[in-house]
Amino acid sequence: MKLAFVTPRYGSEVIGGAETAARMLAERMSLRPDWDVEILTSCALDHLTWENTEPAGTSSVNGVTVRRFPTASRRLLEYFELDGRLRVSPTTASLAESRRWVALNGPMCPELVDAVATSDADVIACYPYLFATTVDAIAAARVPTVLHPAAHDEPALYLKAFQQSFRDIDGLVYHTRAERDLMEHVFGIGAKPQIVLGLGVNEPAGDGRRGGEILGIGDRPYLCYLGRVDEHKGCGMLAEYFAHYKDRHPGDLVLAFVGPVSDKAPEHPDMVVTGTVSEAEKWDILADAQVMVSPSAYESFSLVLLEAWTLDVPVLVNAGCAATMEHCRRSGGGLYFESYRTFEATVDRLVGDAETRARLGCAGRDYTERYYRWPSIIDRYAEFLQAVVSRGPRTSIRTGRLPLVTGGPAYERGG
Amino acid sequence: MPASTPSEPTAAPSGTESTSPVVPKEPLSPKPDELDAAERAEYLAEVMAEIDAEVRHRRASGDLPAGLERELDELFLEFSPVGLQGKARLRENLALVDGAAYVDIAVPVESEKKIGVYIKRLIRKSLNWYLGFIVHQVVKFAWAVSRMFHLVVDHIEDIETTVESLRIPELPATAVPVTDPGASWWADQALAAVSGTRGRVLHAECGNGSLVARFIADGVDAYGVDPVETTIEPAIERGLDVRAEAALDHLEVVAEEALAGIVLSGSVQWLHPNERDRLIALASSRLAVDGVLVLHSATPEAWRRSTSPLVADLAPGHPLHADTWTHVLAAFGLSRTALHTGGEDRRLDRLATSSTDATTINAAIDTVNDLLLGPGEYLLVAVRAR
Repeated sequence: MKLAFVTPRYGSEVIGGAETAARMLAERMSLRPDWDVEILTSCALDHLTWENTEPAGTSSVNGVTVRRFPTASRRLLEYFELDGRLRVSPTTASLAESRRWVALNGPMCPELVDAVATSDADVIACYPYLFATTVDAIAAARVPTVLHPAAHDEPALYLKAFQQSFRDIDGLVYHTRAERDLMEHVFGIGAKPQIVLGLGVNEPAGDGRRGGEILGIGDRPYLCYLGRVDEHKGCGMLAEYFAHYKDRHPGDLVLAFVGPVSDKAPEHPDMVVTGTVSEAEKWDILADAQVMVSPSAYESFSLVLLEAWTLDVPVLVNAGCAATMEHCRRSGGGLYFESYRTFEATVDRLVGDAETRARLGCAGRDYTERYYRWPSIIDRYAEFLQAVVSRGPRTSIRTGRLPLVTGGPAYERGG
Repeated sequence: MPASTPSEPTAAPSGTESTSPVVPKEPLSPKPDELDAAERAEYLAEVMAEIDAEVRHRRASGDLPAGLERELDELFLEFSPVGLQGKARLRENLALVDGAAYVDIAVPVESEKKIGVYIKRLIRKSLNWYLGFIVHQVVKFAWAVSRMFHLVVDHIEDIETTVESLRIPELPATAVPVTDPGASWWADQALAAVSGTRGRVLHAECGNGSLVARFIADGVDAYGVDPVETTIEPAIERGLDVRAEAALDHLEVVAEEALAGIVLSGSVQWLHPNERDRLIALASSRLAVDGVLVLHSATPEAWRRSTSPLVADLAPGHPLHADTWTHVLAAFGLSRTALHTGGEDRRLDRLATSSTDATTINAAIDTVNDLLLGPGEYLLVAVRAR
């Protein structure tokens, strides 16, 4: 059985939830003797510019065949103007406007779409819903096609262009039930074949170093944020909440931001920002954390929660995030905050009570063990894909390709 | 110390003011490993309830200036999706509208250079008359909008209160006995009814998914929904497309004419009349033309004598006679094509014709059998007309 993934960008250097998830699935599927896996992607690694930085052609990344195709255009400044206009009221945008938005969001890769149209794969998996590669691949595919939306509640989801993609898809693979509920309500696709799969978590791979030593804080207890340090991930809010917390609760507690910094690193005597760390350092830092905090309201899965739970570390999540709340409710492995007051009280409880931490952490670990280990996930995924293949492709009239927009000034990073 | 080792509180925050740490009221005895899913959910709810109580206590103590608390809450809202949190979120967003309805024309004049302050102040002063005129109208409009929103929210809350008072108490999903529909007397007839359909077939409520599995084994592209999560877990583990959803909720998110067949069983037979109508209207619209509806139900008589007291007392409705269903379905464009009976059968045997008064007694037995002791269930098959 041959499986082709279509992703806007691909590579171990690409940091992004959906792209990383696609790579993890592809690498594990390729290890199965009965599956042949290839990646169809662009030559770009930067999702803001879509600049062709990788050579076109076939290569291998961690044992997976990767076929890269050049983007026909860099991201144009027109995208930001249209995005600003449409995000105010996405449902009222016309189909033509919304298709232009998708085209401008890119990456536009006509040769990739040609490759999809002539692919000898038995099934094509597109990941995630938001990009032009996905919309065009679904329109062009002649074999059964599944979509991993990796979506959360955002204005773009309501654009009419995506209605067509979801209508034409042969199967859906979701990260969480919350994601499925959202997609079903927005697109009315309850009858489509689907699976709530999620992602697997790796075995902890630390070096046994003390987290405090890596962070340079000695034996001080700490909360840990893991991931891209970005305003949109709620890091600014977390930093401000923690600063107020420390004003009211002076003590040893530290907040560690562990991950690459997108915008401005928080500055505070009781906050540590590590920047990018090695995999082993990440696990060691996580292992000694009192609590792993996920302040983001916009997560479609949140692998870091599961990583924390494999180490029995409890989590504290944003109550406005459907995906992380679902994990907490189903597992009983974490608490949640919906205001500064609840943040303060939950941190007090978690930091001040070892039994609560232990019980939550243990519940989280059991949940992770039961639902999110790679072997069972890959088995279920393979079985689902086989069922989709056996049904064959839908016979409905598929949508035409997106309009190629090439004129106008291009976006430059820092420009 | 590794986090995996439950440890003593190493970092109890040295709290100031009135903010005592939130700790459990009494030690919780079971070891974490012994907890099952329900206990975990209960424990989580218990901890969050204690935290909520502590939050209320701290708020009442006034230890955080109201202005600062509001500012911090607005920061949370800024990074949260709008419209997902129900009534409380409606009020919170209204507060944001109120807060933003005032436009300040006193532009900040701070500057790194002293001359800058003078220049900015001069510009501000000279433009005040102009900006003031414009801003006055903007603020007037914003306040009118804010007032309108307040009226709408008040109205919505009134309606919600009224609706809540009319709400039918929900029968706990766990009160409904777990079913194994694949092994039931009606499985073969249901399979025969949907065999040969071209498209997906939904089984709601599918219990342990055994009928879905039989359908699939017979080449029918079937999937199922059931509101009780624990019931369907084995089906999910077998790789079946079975989801933890109620039939009504699920049909709401299915596109029109997307299904070739729908099998209704379980608690759909005792839905409230309004919900029953909504279910059939949805089922009819979700079925393709010539799509098949299969309905399994107990007879009202059998249901009364054999259902559990919990279901009998709390069920919002009750099963209908097959002829009544036929009538209800016809109103939504679904024509009955077959009726099968089965299930519990406690019929009395007739007397031998040689017995004295056999004819009279057998007539009485027939009546009793028909009215009280006959087949306790039926399976009705209907087709969506063109």
